[in-house]
Amino acid sequence: MSKPSDLIQGTLDLLILRTLSLEPMHGWAIGRCIQQASNEVLQITQGALYPALHRLEQQGWLRGQWRESETGREAKFYSLTRAGRAQLAKELAQWERLSGAVGLVIRMEER
Amino acid sequence: MYPERWLDIARLRLRSLFRRAAVESELKRELRAHLAHETEASRNSKFSPHESQFTALRHLGGAAQIQEQCRDMRRTNHIENVLRDLKYALRSFGKTPGFALMVTLTLALGIGANTTIFSVMNATLLQPLPFPHADRLALIWETFGPGPDNTNIVSAPNFWDFQRLSQSFSSMAIFDSSGRGYNLGPAGNSKQAEQVSGLRVTASFFTVLEAQPFLGRAFLPEEEKRGNDREVILTYGLWKRRYGGDPSIIGRSIRVDSADFTVVGVMPQQFRWQFWSNERQLFVPIGYTKTDYGRGDNSFLCIGRLKPGVTIPQSQAELASIAKNVAAQYPKDDANMGATALPIADYGLQWLRIILLTLLAAVGFVLLIACVNVANLLLARGASRQKEFAIRLALGAPAGRIARQLLTENLLLALAGGAAGLLLATILTRVLFLTFHLDTLYLPMRPVDAIHTDSRVYIFALAVSCVTGLLFGIVPAFSALRANVNDPLKEGGRGQSSARSHLRHALVACEVALALVILSGAGLMIKSMSRLLGVDPGFKPHNVLNMVMSVPQEEIYVGPPDLPRFCQDLSDRIGAIPGVLAVGAVGHLPLRGNAGRSFQVEGKPPATPGNMPGASYSVACPGYFRAMAIPMIKGREFTNNETLHSPGVIVINESMARLYWPKEDAIGKAIRFGGSNGPRLTIIGVAGDVHFQGLDSPARPQFFRPYTQAGWPIMNVVVRTASFPLSFETPIRKSLAEIMPDLPVSEVDTLENILKSSTGARRFPMLLLSAFSVLALVLAAIGIAGVVGHSVVQRTNEIGIRMALGAGSVDVLRLMINANMLWVLAGLLAGLAGSLALTRLLTRMLYEVRPLDPAVLGGVSAVLAAVALAATYFPARRAACIDPIAALRNQ
Repeated sequence: MSKPSDLIQGTLDLLILRTLSLEPMHGWAIGRCIQQASNEVLQITQGALYPALHRLEQQGWLRGQWRESETGREAKFYSLTRAGRAQLAKELAQWERLSGAVGLVIRMEER
Repeated sequence: MYPERWLDIARLRLRSLFRRAAVESELKRELRAHLAHETEASRNSKFSPHESQFTALRHLGGAAQIQEQCRDMRRTNHIENVLRDLKYALRSFGKTPGFALMVTLTLALGIGANTTIFSVMNATLLQPLPFPHADRLALIWETFGPGPDNTNIVSAPNFWDFQRLSQSFSSMAIFDSSGRGYNLGPAGNSKQAEQVSGLRVTASFFTVLEAQPFLGRAFLPEEEKRGNDREVILTYGLWKRRYGGDPSIIGRSIRVDSADFTVVGVMPQQFRWQFWSNERQLFVPIGYTKTDYGRGDNSFLCIGRLKPGVTIPQSQAELASIAKNVAAQYPKDDANMGATALPIADYGLQWLRIILLTLLAAVGFVLLIACVNVANLLLARGASRQKEFAIRLALGAPAGRIARQLLTENLLLALAGGAAGLLLATILTRVLFLTFHLDTLYLPMRPVDAIHTDSRVYIFALAVSCVTGLLFGIVPAFSALRANVNDPLKEGGRGQSSARSHLRHALVACEVALALVILSGAGLMIKSMSRLLGVDPGFKPHNVLNMVMSVPQEEIYVGPPDLPRFCQDLSDRIGAIPGVLAVGAVGHLPLRGNAGRSFQVEGKPPATPGNMPGASYSVACPGYFRAMAIPMIKGREFTNNETLHSPGVIVINESMARLYWPKEDAIGKAIRFGGSNGPRLTIIGVAGDVHFQGLDSPARPQFFRPYTQAGWPIMNVVVRTASFPLSFETPIRKSLAEIMPDLPVSEVDTLENILKSSTGARRFPMLLLSAFSVLALVLAAIGIAGVVGHSVVQRTNEIGIRMALGAGSVDVLRLMINANMLWVLAGLLAGLAGSLALTRLLTRMLYEVRPLDPAVLGGVSAVLAAVALAATYFPARRAACIDPIAALRNQ
């Protein structure tokens, strides 16, 4: 199981922002969604997920709202704010740049 | 970019701060919801309900930790921690109010003293000039020879040339360097004639200062001509006070010096002018007199406004070249003349700056001593709190968190001390202001009416408090944190490590060193003051009354008096009052300024222009030397028989006789006043030397003409009385009003007061420095007694054992005293080294005392050592009285 430290610093934020760009979700659903989407490779511990959610909320990128979940339970749903969307775009661009760069290094030919 | 984002953030922060309970319960609900979802998900798979709940819990991890991490994300933790620390600090001070009070008082003294000195600085040096764009104002001087003190006031013809030729200044003006009192005739509801300080100025004066009357107008260039100059501009204060603030006064005429002057303007309230005198209350056009046209008659101050973009050095270079040409053109009057411009902003503030900076350094030291005392108190308190810290560390509190709490406590103490200090300072500044008559400082262009505690003072006090809090808290905090978790718990909370005790003693040594430096400074100032007061001024000030009369005359500074009977009337009227022993008058009272005149010594080869002999010059009425009790060494003083029709005479002082007629009798010799073509003046008397430039300046050559032959517009009337001189003020005023109703007297004071205030520039720092050194001494004594007392308590057990083993109480006393006095001695040595280094900075304030005066340094060291010994002895005696049985049982 991947620990948060295995993820490149800041990637968790990107994953959360990207997940929430689909639709507003509550914490458990976000973790679940990331896990399924990554073919069970990325498992986010709650100890990392909730602090990250709260941090993103405090930075004004997410907005929390209490709603009834699909199972009829009260849950705090997070959605992206306008600033959050902009942040996601920024982080995505950064990620593309970084992963592209890492890819170049890995695939370089031996001489 | 996204304003709503900042609104979101602000809303969340405020919510976490003020709706803490709601935020917390929401966090719990959120985690609980997660758990429920997780449990549900597991239930759908292979696990039993119990197992699913357990798995879910396991997945969730430590709920408390997650909660804490989420709290950290709120970014308001530190505020909450500060609040908690504050609450805790208040509670712990509440438990030890004596400690809190002691610290607050100590800090209040230190911070109060600093704030007081800063307040004085703020009200004087840091006051902005009351004119727009004052940074472009400059004083323009003639110069002679190399600097730095080569500046001279200017003559009107030279000013006209400067003004015509200079491109650096947008405008230039001159005004009387001395000015004088103007006699206002009775007007409206003021039945009395009154003398007010006034100034002749050019029409450009108000242009240069960028100040215009708020009623009426400024002077016109044509009003500078003699005969057109009967206009007056009033200051706001005079207009309100004497003319009831009546706006219809513009265009009306008032009596000034027995003539009709038209009021053309009233200056706004913020316009205030003082330079080389008290504040001016009215302005008149310059009305150039015959003497003003003399190129060599320097009697004006020149002020100019630099054009935007022109720097002072540029203007200096230009003035220097202009002056060179002028000097070449008029070799007779202006040989060797230069000219320069100096920024007006810090003109004439040097001595005050030195004094205040010295005092600020001294109070800084006092504050450091206070910090050391507080640090020592904290160390003692820290010793008893070791266990508390150790337990908290053992329970997992990060060291940083404890340090933060200590810091909060210290800042709280410092702020309490700062608040008390600010209160103290507002009282002290008031006392200072009244004691030293700071309103008579007459700083150039900075009238000081009061010392206000304004926002800058508050900020200063706050900043000093914060720095203080850090300063005294650092050592105790380190000492508290360095401690091992185990030791204090093992020690059973008693005893202190020897490192800690050394630390406290070392702090005492610092304190002693600091106190010694301040004491040395004060000692040097006191010694130089006593030297100064020991100087014989050359006259006997006891029972002499002085008053100033303004006696205007057509040709201001050299012409014959307009009132030839002035001296005669004075002596007839005042001399007739019972109890008056002698009456005289003089143009320049000793210690209150002087003028200079050049001359040729008859019978010696004529000097080249620019190298003519000169001496201090004044005029005197018959009886002046007798009234002042200045001895006549040879010859006689003036009589009423000297008139415009009799041969010119002078009285010279001993220095002048020695300089120009060293081996001959000066009586009967003659000088040519102002040059070889000037009037011939014969010496009829040689008077004793007077320190007319101040007690700290040696007597210089000086000569007097009789008032009857050469008038002067401002006369100091001196009256020697048989008893308390101030009681003669009313009869003198009355008798003068009968014969000279238009010439009121002003500035009535005793010569003793005048002599005393002439030493004010030294008295002020001396008395303050002495007060601070006493404060330092007391604080140091308290600090020493505290440390010794604490170490007695700490060593009770050891002392008990020593006594049980046979040590006598004298041995114990010696042990305690020796242990402390060694540190005191170390402090004394460090302090001596510090004094040697620092008292050199006082040199300019000392009079006939060298900064390394061994008697002073030895004396203050002895005083400090004695005080330290006393402060050690009394608490140490308690150690000697310890009952060994009780001490050992106490364990």
